[in-house]
Parts: sequence; structure tokens; C-alpha cells
Amino acid sequence: MHGTKFARTIRFIAAWLLVGLFFFPIYYWTSVAFRNGRDIFSRPPKIFDFEPTIANFNAVFGISFEGGVPQITPGGGNFYMAPRLWDSIVIGVGSTLIAVAIATLAAYALSRMRFKGSHHFVGWVLSTRMLPPVAVAVPMFFIYRQFNLLDTYTGMIIIHAIMNLPLAVLLMKSFFDDVPNEIDESATIDGASRWTIFRRIVLPMAKGGIAATAVLCFIFSWTEFLFALTLTQTDVRTVPVVSTTFVTSVGTAWGNMAALGAAAILPAFIFVLAVQKHLVRGLTMGSLKQ
Amino acid sequence: MSKVEFKNAQKAFGAVKVIEGLSLEIPHGSFAVLLGPSGCGKSTLLRMIAGLEKLTGGEVAIAGKRVNDVHPRDRDIAMVFQNYALYPTMKVRENIAFNLEIQKLEKREIERRVSEAADILNLRPFLDRYPKELSGGQRQRVAMGRALVREAGVFLFDEPLSNLDAKLRAHMRVEIRQLHERLGATTLYVTHDQIEAMTMADIIVLLDKGAIVQVGTPDEVYEKPNSVYVADFIGSPSMNFFDGEIEADGEEVRFRAANLSIPLEARYRGQAGKSVKLGVRPNDLHFAADGAFKGEVILSETTGAEVQIHVRIRDSDVVAVAPRTERRVHGEAVALSVPPGKVHIFDAQSERRIEPQ
Ligand SMILES: Nc1ncnc2c1ncn2[C@@H]1O[C@H](COP(=O)(O)OP(=O)(O)OP(=O)(O)O)[C@@H](O)[C@H]1O
Ligand SMILES: [Mg+2]
Repeated sequence: MHGTKFARTIRFIAAWLLVGLFFFPIYYWTSVAFRNGRDIFSRPPKIFDFEPTIANFNAVFGISFEGGVPQITPGGGNFYMAPRLWDSIVIGVGSTLIAVAIATLAAYALSRMRFKGSHHFVGWVLSTRMLPPVAVAVPMFFIYRQFNLLDTYTGMIIIHAIMNLPLAVLLMKSFFDDVPNEIDESATIDGASRWTIFRRIVLPMAKGGIAATAVLCFIFSWTEFLFALTLTQTDVRTVPVVSTTFVTSVGTAWGNMAALGAAAILPAFIFVLAVQKHLVRGLTMGSLKQ
Repeated sequence: MSKVEFKNAQKAFGAVKVIEGLSLEIPHGSFAVLLGPSGCGKSTLLRMIAGLEKLTGGEVAIAGKRVNDVHPRDRDIAMVFQNYALYPTMKVRENIAFNLEIQKLEKREIERRVSEAADILNLRPFLDRYPKELSGGQRQRVAMGRALVREAGVFLFDEPLSNLDAKLRAHMRVEIRQLHERLGATTLYVTHDQIEAMTMADIIVLLDKGAIVQVGTPDEVYEKPNSVYVADFIGSPSMNFFDGEIEADGEEVRFRAANLSIPLEARYRGQAGKSVKLGVRPNDLHFAADGAFKGEVILSETTGAEVQIHVRIRDSDVVAVAPRTERRVHGEAVALSVPPGKVHIFDAQSERRIEPQ
């Protein structure tokens, strides 16, 4: 860092303003989850000085802290939302695993092997995302009904994995493209087979790429609404879909909705935290002379 | 016996012909340097031997056996890449042992060879580091170590020293050369640095645009460059050239250009009347009051033990190398002479060397 003290201060303030700008909505939404109805709608709006309550969480998940001990009330509260979080987690993790596994293999092949039409492949892959999802949703509904995939984990995992594949493949391909071909060649001379090169050398190098791709896939699945709405009914329901149930004919239960939203941030946050240590820069560090 | 041969070898990338019908034989155990400007096909040739590029015609043979269709791992070669290509997620030890592991050698044998290589290359303190924790020169040695443990018959080096600093480069030159003496493997070494070529090679193979221009020992290519191209490429600073004619006048044979007349050896008599290029190496030019090259000093550069003096003669610049004590000042009028035996004569049209007996 250099520049005058004044410039440094300005930069410092600007950085914190920006952080505040992004963070404030999250804070406000989360704080709404801990308010009673009056504090949510007070005018002027209260930023900090509300009376915290966990009534919303109690209603949504059936958790209470009476006597300082967390308790799960039988029946899981009025809205019974904990299983919905679980559905979202299963679908998010499952579809991410599948998408990343397939994308990694496909991207390595696309990056390294020449086959007929390989240079058209990327265009093809991308074109599958050019249809508006709405146009796909209705046919998908009929297909899923035919295959008994409606309202199942399998069905949701498949559709989210498919939706994620194109971008995941492109992203992973760019990571593999950054691994210099000489490394493969060197290993070839060392006598390694294609598979050994992939598994022992290239894959460990692309770990950061896999982590980044996994985060994107998971977040997509976590927030996806349209397919989750059309392809599920009662057995499986994800968080974005059930959020709408708080909007009722007698008004919107903002506090409850915020409680679900705040709770939904948590698993995604934990997932990102778990993979972020792999999000290292400098994929080829030390391999080449520079 | 691992001699390396190209027989009319060709390589094209699509429509672009990079190597056109090249034949070459590198005897067993010799240190051959492939020398040429950037893009002339040096790496491509090396990769053809390694099996990383398929030939589009002709043949490449190792130890007398055609290997065009042999897998790289079965060619009995080891290669050090232009950019090292170390495996960044493996420690130095694992980098070096990788090949041996693939070969499924016994653990004890792997350990023995790795520690032997580490001793030769002074890598022992770094065996448990990752490549990113090494300096450029250390990485370079790891790349060599990886090649070394294979105990291959042919070593291929692709500009292994190009990114190192001058001092380390000089040091590694000696190390690589000593390693070669020790292992006795046939070595092909690519560089575009003619000093590396001169100092390291048994045989220099000078390339231009995918074709061989001259093959010979460092002395041969320095003393008898077969063309203007070679003469210009080898030697630093570069050779000085003058356009002129050979004249025979009674007993005397002379090279004559505008404002310049130099006595030549009698063997050039048969070439009288020919348009030629005359070449003189900067270290063959000496200060002499009656010298034929008369001009004015425009620049004097010290390189340490020597000075490079740039002299303007009419409208061409000539470089002379002299001992440091012979320093000249800017603007000084000087005369330079060259011993008749030290000039190189090339045909003006074909630029080939003229070498009458
Ligand atoms: N895969 C490729 N496709 C098309 N042309 C190529 C390919 N590889 C090399 N070439 C061309 O072949 C020629 C020789 O390349 P090569 O890498 O052998 O040069 P080089 O002598 O090693 O140069 P440098 O000193 O810069 O490393 C170049 O003109 C290059 O553009
Ligand atoms: Mg090269």
C-alpha cells in the first residue's frame, strides 16, 4: 500500500462503505427474523434498537429456548419447515456432486483430447442453456410424470445437475486449459497413462477450480425456484418454494419468512466455508519457470 | 548404443511445414546442441524424438531402431522441458520418483535412485519442499533430477537455462556438461544462445527455418562457417561484413571495395573478378597505423577484460574487440588491419563460403 495518508484513508472508507452496502440487506433481513410484528413495521424503521425474540424461529422450525435449553416442540412449529431445509440440502449437495463429477471428466476431455467436432462442442454445451427455463419446465413436467420422477429427490437432483452442467463444464475446462500441456507431456514420457495423469497430477492441480465450480452449482440449486416449483408437490419441497407459503390471503408473514431465509443462509454459508480453503489462486504455482 | 537419427524427417502442422526433409545422425554418447533462432523448429525436432509430435514423413530412429510409432515411455529417453513442467502438487521427492513409481520399481530402489540424483544435483535439502518453494535454479535442477533417475539412453533438454540469471546459467552449463561426462548418455540440447552452444557442444547443429545449415564441432562452425548465415549467427559480437570484389593484380590477390583494399591469400586467385562478401571477426581486427580499415571511433563499450570498439568506416559500422588497455575515445581516427588468413570469403549471391584449396 502506498500513496499519501489522505488517499489511504479515502480508500479505507470507500472499502468499508462498499462492504456495508452489500452487508446491510443481509443484516436487516436477518434482524427482521428476530423481531416481533411491531418492530418490523415501526416507523421510522428500527435498525438496532428492537426487542429480540425467537418467536419466528419457533413458529417456523418449532425451536424454543424456554428455560435457556433449546427444545424442539413436537410437530415442528406451525409451519414445519425444518424438513424443507433438509430437502434443499439433499438436492443441493446431490446435484452439486453429480454436476461437478461429470463436468470435471468432460472438461478434461474437452481440454486435452482432440476428437471429431470437438471445437463445436463448447457451443453445443452452451446452447442447452439458451432456452428460457420456462419453455423447458412444462415439457419436463410431463417427462417427469412419465418416469415417476415428480416429487422425488432423484428428480430434483437430476434436473439441477443438468441445469448446472453446461456452465460447470465451461468453468472446469478453463481451469484445465490453464494447466500447461507440458505437464501432461512430461508425465506421458514418465510413462503415466491418461487416467493416471488425470488423477495424480491434473486433478490435484484443478482442486481450486473444482471448489469454485462446486460453490456455484450449490448456490444455483439452493436458490433455484422454477423447476423446484413445477416438479415437486408435497413430498419434496425446497426452501425457495416454501418461502412463498408465507404470502397468504390474510397478509405476508414477514417475520416468519425472514426466519426461514436467515436459517437458509446458514447451510450455504457452511458449504462455502468448507470449500473456500481450496479456492487458492495460482494453480500452477511452482511448476513453471517465471 | 543410443545414437539418434533423422532420416528425411518431416513435420507439418496442417498446411504449415515446419521441418522439411531433415537428415541427421547424432553418434552415441555425444553432446549435440541444436542451435537456431526462435521459431526455427528446435523444440519440434526434440519433441519428434520424444514422441510428443508425430512425424508427417520420414523416420526417426533411436539406437538404430525406427521409433516413429513407439510410445514416448518406451523410447528410452528423458526430457527436460523448456518451462520445467514440474508437478506442482507433488514434493520434490515425489516429482523425481514419479517415473520410477509408474515403472513399479521396488521402494528401496526408488529411494536409492532419488537420493543418488539428489546428491549429484545438490537437491538433498529440498527433497521435502514443493516446487513453488524453490528458486528458479533449484526448479531447474529438479527437472534435471526427474530426467536423471530414469537412467535413459538419450537426454533431451529444451532450453533449460533460458530464464536463469547469467551467473547461474554459467554455473549450470558446467554442471550439465559434467553430468554428461559422468552419464555418457547421448544428449540433445536445444538453445538459441550461441555461447551455450559453443561452450557445451561436441556437435553443433545449426538450424534455420526447419532445415540444417551446418553441422560441426564448435571449432569448425566458428572457424569455417559455411555461409553468411552461420558466420553471422556464431560468435559475439557478430562478424563484420563488407561487399566487394576479388582482384588479382600480378602477384597480389586483393579484396577491393569502395575505399577499402585488403590483401588476401594466394589461394583466392582463381576467384578473381567475383563479387563476394568478406567477413572479419571482431577479435581478428587489430589496431595498426597502416591498417586498411580507416575510420572514426563512434562508441567504446567495456565488457570487463575487453573493449568493443565501434568504428564508422564511410557508411558502415565495424566492431573490433581489443584488450582493455587499447581504449579509444569517441571521434578518434583509427586504422584497423586483419591478417590475411583470418578473413572469410562468401559468394555474394549464394552467400555460401568460398574455400579454394
Ligand atoms: N502445435 C503447433 N501448431 C502449429 N504450428 C506450430 C505448432 N508448434 C510449433 N509450431 C510452429 O513451428 C515452428 C517451430 O516451432 P518450435 O517451437 O519448434 O520453435 P523453436 O525453434 O523451439 O523456437 P523457440 O526458440 O522460440 O522455442 C514455429 O514457427 C511455430 O509457430
Ligand atoms: Mg522451443
